[in-house]
Amino acid sequence: MNEKKKVIYVDDEEINVMLFEINFSVNFEVYTALNGIEGLELLDKHPDVKVVISDMKMPEMSGLEFVTKAKEKYPEKKFYILTGFEITKEIKNALKSGLIHKYFRKPFNMLEIEKAINEH
Amino acid sequence: MKLHRFEYRITVLYLLIGGFWILASDKLLYILIKDGNTLSQFQTYKGWFYVLITAVFLFFFIKKHLNKRRKLENELKEFQVHLEKKVKRRTEELESVIKQQKETQVQLLHSEKMASLGILTAGVAHEINNPLNFIMGSYIGLLRHYQDNSFSDNPEQVRQLIEAMKIGIDRSSAIVQGLNQLSGESDTYDDQCDIHEILENSLTMLNSQIRPHITVSKDFSASELLIKGNVAHLHQVFFNILGNAIHSIESEGDITIKTEDKKSHVLIVITDTGVGISKENLKKITDPFFTTKAPGKGTGLGLSITYNIIKEHNGNIEFESQEGKGTTVSVMFEKPVKYE
Repeated sequence: MNEKKKVIYVDDEEINVMLFEINFSVNFEVYTALNGIEGLELLDKHPDVKVVISDMKMPEMSGLEFVTKAKEKYPEKKFYILTGFEITKEIKNALKSGLIHKYFRKPFNMLEIEKAINEH
Repeated sequence: MKLHRFEYRITVLYLLIGGFWILASDKLLYILIKDGNTLSQFQTYKGWFYVLITAVFLFFFIKKHLNKRRKLENELKEFQVHLEKKVKRRTEELESVIKQQKETQVQLLHSEKMASLGILTAGVAHEINNPLNFIMGSYIGLLRHYQDNSFSDNPEQVRQLIEAMKIGIDRSSAIVQGLNQLSGESDTYDDQCDIHEILENSLTMLNSQIRPHITVSKDFSASELLIKGNVAHLHQVFFNILGNAIHSIESEGDITIKTEDKKSHVLIVITDTGVGISKENLKKITDPFFTTKAPGKGTGLGLSITYNIIKEHNGNIEFESQEGKGTTVSVMFEKPVKYE
């Protein structure tokens, strides 16, 4: 049996998390967190997750701060940012340095994200 | 030498020379002419001679003096004309400087507006993209359900998808409504203004500026705070004050918004734990064009506009600040008199 690919999604907005779970659970195994700290815990709990998608603007720890910390511990995983902001200097730098693989804009494009998860 | 004035000296000199002439010439005539008739004839000639000489002398003397005077008068006249021209030119220069300053002022006011607009658009874009994301999520889920019956075993998920769409639409529409209020062009002061709503709207517009390590806490009075005023201008007031609070925090800090419903007035206290303002600068922060930002980074008009709007509302604004500790801004408005 073909096992579903696993993905972690971090967003402080509960509705976004709920919708992501509903939509992506059809084809993937989805784990979600409402902030960066929970996200890091999820990464420790599920070492076989290859793809991590995070919102940018969250309280306490921004998306990029979370990704930076996570990448230190799990450099082999692929990280993505999903944000409602236009691309910023920070995000550009993160793309250049390879910290994040790609940046997705909200409202999200299902096909684009599914394709990205399936690449790994 | 100028002990005596010129006219005294000249008179004395004239008397002396004239007297000397009469005495000396008489003496000479007496010696030279013995005949009485000839003597009186010569004395007449001598008199004519004297009158003639003094007349010539006076003519040149007066002429010289008058010329000096005329020259001076002419010079004075020329000087006057020159001065008038100079004054006129200077006035024109000043007028053009004043005109230029007025134009600059208008431009600066415009750039202040544009700067706020920049913050605003970035914030609004993000705030609208988020509820659009809800709508997109529910659309995708519902489409999938419609095509493949994906969630038929789970009607709760279908309900959640529909619910999310409604929340997305409500939230977008609230943002658009807030925007309309902020950009209102009305200049009247009789709108019903809900202070809590205005504070919430301003926070929404500034949401994109609130970095992860800034905590905003609200301590709102239980009762609604309603005042009469200009709803768009009051949005500007709190947009500016909250914007300053956010910008004052360099890396991490807290912003507290407390509102109080007092007997005769409403009080809004906004406290930040940012960099604070020095005592010296505190006196100047509402001065137009006062800014500590680098040239081109701030117009120095934000608080000046804020101050003016509050005064137009017969309100009051006070600042307390300590460098390195933070700033507290207290805004007070009188409550409208109720007719019951």
